[in-house]
Amino acid sequence: MNPMPTPAKKFDLPTEVISNEPVAESHYLLRCACPEIAANALPGQFIHVLIPQDSGLLLRRPFTIYTVEGDQITMLYQLIGEGTNVLSRLKRSDSIRVLGPLGNTFEILSGPNPAIIVGGGAGIASLMLLAAALRNADVHTLGLVGSMNRARLLSVEDLKAMGVETHIATDDGSVGHHGFVTELLTHILETYELRNSIIYACGPDGMLRAVTKIGLDYQIPTQLAMENRMGCAMGVCLGCVCKVQTPGGEFEYQRVCTEGPVFSAEDIVW
Amino acid sequence: MSGIHSSLEVNVAGIQMKNPVMTASGTFGYGSEYVDFIDLNQLGAIVVKGITSVPWAGNPMPRIFETPSGMLNAIGLQNVGVDGFIDKKLPYLRDFDVPVIVNICGEQVEEYLEVTEKLDGADGVAAIELNISCPNLHCGGMSFGVDPKLTDELVRAVREKTTLPLLVKLSPNVTDITVIARAAERAGADGLSVINTALGMAIDINTRRPQLANITGGLSGPAIKPIALRMVWQVYNAISIPIIGMGGIMTGDDAIEFCIAGASAVAVGTANFINPRASLDVIDSIEEYLGQHGMRSIAELVGSLEVAETRKSR
Repeated sequence: MNPMPTPAKKFDLPTEVISNEPVAESHYLLRCACPEIAANALPGQFIHVLIPQDSGLLLRRPFTIYTVEGDQITMLYQLIGEGTNVLSRLKRSDSIRVLGPLGNTFEILSGPNPAIIVGGGAGIASLMLLAAALRNADVHTLGLVGSMNRARLLSVEDLKAMGVETHIATDDGSVGHHGFVTELLTHILETYELRNSIIYACGPDGMLRAVTKIGLDYQIPTQLAMENRMGCAMGVCLGCVCKVQTPGGEFEYQRVCTEGPVFSAEDIVW
Repeated sequence: MSGIHSSLEVNVAGIQMKNPVMTASGTFGYGSEYVDFIDLNQLGAIVVKGITSVPWAGNPMPRIFETPSGMLNAIGLQNVGVDGFIDKKLPYLRDFDVPVIVNICGEQVEEYLEVTEKLDGADGVAAIELNISCPNLHCGGMSFGVDPKLTDELVRAVREKTTLPLLVKLSPNVTDITVIARAAERAGADGLSVINTALGMAIDINTRRPQLANITGGLSGPAIKPIALRMVWQVYNAISIPIIGMGGIMTGDDAIEFCIAGASAVAVGTANFINPRASLDVIDSIEEYLGQHGMRSIAELVGSLEVAETRKSR
């Protein structure tokens, strides 16, 4: 049971970097104009970016769509390897190609109060379009943001600007709760007895497993945005799959790029 | 420009095509995935993802890893199975005017035969590509394609089950590819696909774990193009049935190299992952090249490698 069917039309657009600036330690925000993608992007969807070929890199790199502003989109990304390092050196007017919007979308239910979005590290980036959609749907939203430390903390101001009540957890305690963001989640569920809620999460595997368990323990529906190494992002290379339960106790490998990235947490086989 | 009208139309191994450019198996899904970017009718042929007698789940993750100018994959032939293909995928493709070539694989000869019989009776299959070169299976797949005797037995058995054009996709993971090529030709293949991926691996030095759950995988992309070209040239000199050249073709220039080396047609593979229009770009470039060089057809190019006299007597 996936939250939403995959939308149809995809575009592969040449465009130019408008800006590409650091927003936290090891994290950048890149802005470009992609009118067709901006007009069609849904929460949770992503783009597949072709980094200039003189970089020596072969494959595109997938990034979630962070915001949509008019005909522009932004992507918030962590420096994690060669691809993102090359990307971070791009300057205004440099050329890139952007393919998207790709993947399915979060399901926004009417009724849950509040919606809780849980982001670990750069995972919060996958939840920002969702936060905007929840605001537009007048859903009261709590934001739980986990980070290694204060220097790497992402998106808190952006969430607050949307009216999201935001709580922070850091591994080193340099700001907010000293510990995991999942501990914050449990604490909030216990303290406020939030049963008529929904959880949306994106982050490292360990965090998502913990969020899944919490969702099951508290019987709160939970949707995860999965991330994986990706080849084509169009559903043909079958490189980005994750293990998903099927009726009858079996499992199958489903494509994060096509059936996902959003999955119901209870369907994921870790 | 010469003013000569060049035709891209070809008949390769009994497959009539508008042009000599196919999509390589496993890089183009079942075609429908690309319709936002490509008019499928413009392709020479579509070679669909490898099909087995029953659906296969595929290998655990991670399945892919990028390497310099290439990528490793160990997908493990995740596919819908032959019945799923005929019921759910083939009807969609029938609406297009493009030959559909079905890549088939299995662990046992009987599985290949079962798939062949079902495809032979299915409407809309133009040819079969026998995959004896998948490097990611523990038995079957590549184990057939590294042994001339097993190649002979399998190709012969499949040949008896179908009148469809039969291509055999060869593995580069052999000492002498011409031995396997000759075996496939003798056993009744109508054409050869040269090459499948080269077996490789990559390691994460921090965890000391392999980058692929399967440990080893198939290397594709520009990294293997020189190997593929060399093998097309070797096979071209060893057999008389046509060759479909593949392995790292990203551009029209790459494709033309393969034709000069002896390929009558080409397949675009990994490039589809990077540029969804790659195969159409290749078609356009070939047409332009033929025009610029005053060639009426691709046939003038095939095997036209200019070599010193002393090197010709192979």
